[in-house]
Amino acid sequence: MTLVHCLLLAAALFSLGVYGLLTRKQAVALLLSIELMVNAANLVLVAFAKFAGAPTQPIVLFTLAITVAEVAVGLALVMLLYRRYDDTLLDAASEMKG
Amino acid sequence: MTPWLHVLTLDLAVVGAAAAVMLVDALVPLRGRTLGWLVAACLTGVFAASFFVDVAGVTPHGAYVSDAWVLFFKRVFLAAAILGVLGSIDWLEARTPRRQAEYYALVLFSLVGMMLLPGARDWVLLVVAFELMGVPLYVLAAYAKQDGPPDEPKLAAEAGLKLFVTGAASSAFTFFGLALLVGLSGSTRIADVGALSPLAAVGLLFVIAGFGFKLGAVPFHMWIPDTYQGAPTPFVAFLSVAPKAGGLAALAVILMSSGWIGEQRLWAPAIVLISIASMAVGNLFALPQTDARRLLGFSGIAQIGYALIALASATEQGLSMTLFFIASYVFTNLGVFLVVHAAAENMGGHSIARMSGLSRRSPWLGGALLVFLLSLAGVPFVIGFWAKLFVFLAAYRAGLYAPVIVGVVLAVVGLFYYLSIARSTFMADGTSDTKIQAGLGLRTAIGICLVAVIALGLWPGPLVESATAAARAFLAAR
Repeated sequence: MTLVHCLLLAAALFSLGVYGLLTRKQAVALLLSIELMVNAANLVLVAFAKFAGAPTQPIVLFTLAITVAEVAVGLALVMLLYRRYDDTLLDAASEMKG
Repeated sequence: MTPWLHVLTLDLAVVGAAAAVMLVDALVPLRGRTLGWLVAACLTGVFAASFFVDVAGVTPHGAYVSDAWVLFFKRVFLAAAILGVLGSIDWLEARTPRRQAEYYALVLFSLVGMMLLPGARDWVLLVVAFELMGVPLYVLAAYAKQDGPPDEPKLAAEAGLKLFVTGAASSAFTFFGLALLVGLSGSTRIADVGALSPLAAVGLLFVIAGFGFKLGAVPFHMWIPDTYQGAPTPFVAFLSVAPKAGGLAALAVILMSSGWIGEQRLWAPAIVLISIASMAVGNLFALPQTDARRLLGFSGIAQIGYALIALASATEQGLSMTLFFIASYVFTNLGVFLVVHAAAENMGGHSIARMSGLSRRSPWLGGALLVFLLSLAGVPFVIGFWAKLFVFLAAYRAGLYAPVIVGVVLAVVGLFYYLSIARSTFMADGTSDTKIQAGLGLRTAIGICLVAVIALGLWPGPLVESATAAARAFLAAR
């Protein structure tokens, strides 16, 4: 296990997240994809701290806190979407085009 | 008192105002428009204080540097927030009279994030300030969730979720880029970034992409038209200017306060490409739009393209002209959105066709709209003309000929769709003759924007000087 392995794993996780973001239609699945991307970033931060001695480990706490705040707002928005459309599919919520 | 706390005086004042708004709402709820006017007065006080209080200084470890550059941006953000609050007072009173305090508190918190951005010289502070700016905006975009016309709550929910998904995805991009950059350089100071190795270039690209979402530059612009159409219009007026200025500030800090300013030939092509794409997509996609908000959304994408040309030149002149451009854009775009809001409230919709007869029903609003549109189009003797001219000049002197030529050609296309709105309001006769009703707050905000656009168009000197001083201080301090 070296830094390169961790970075490759993180890149794979991040790409999975982006793939999910682009293909999924469920609002909750989008939230999960975003979580995957953020955790890939956290993995990079921790890997650099462990293998390269960079002062990156405390930053993980910041990204976690920010993400929690974001997801709290995001889930509230998904609830709102569900109440307005009776659905959490983003296809339902596409009144606006052009 | 610690010897450096004074550099955050203005920011702490806004935090205090936000806390006071929530406390007042919890303990002695204010009825009617009082709270909105109080918030606007408070922000005006902070804005006035920025001219008298000495906030220059550096916090320990150089994490936050406060100088003329920061002060310039703080005034821009405060002006945008004052105008945004003034424009929202009547809408909030009409639609959600019982839930006004949250709106103002969220605007204030977002404002604090913006005000911290330009002075941040540390990756962590920069990202935290950026998120503090962004997260309240997601809530505000969905604010029209219960009241108003039947389709408004639905559209607002969709607008909020779209803004959230792109915003959260963009912060994930920023985190990933930040992780690579900090990990490689071994320091959280932005100035300490090392040479642009391939992996660091990937990190830089991710960070630019993350901030590009908030800027609304192509290819990160997909959320803009939908969010602008669905979110409450007085909020969109604020959203369309302040976060963009914040994104530009962050981009300038990253690209120019670090060791990368010497690597300009490496990152400038990326910025030039983004700016050309933004101008092209913004201007061309604006042409077929029938909804005024969507049209202005695409026009905003194009305007950001113009601002980025000057940034790509990486010279002092280019940076100062970016500042001038963004200051002029704040007044112009806030003004045009607020007029559209006032018209739509009276004419039953935001489509351009519904604006017909506006100038007959209210010559004052029609005239203001024309001035703002001319300024956006860059017609002489309003501020937008100088903004475009200076940006093109700065880029031309830096040898960026291609974006200047594309920009000038597309500015002519812009003239066409801006004037198509003006034609609809001036030439076409509407069906109704009743006067347009607009509240005092909205009229005040539009009036301030109008005075600023005309006065600064006739005397751009003072603003140019303060923008130049800000850019010089920024480049000297890095």
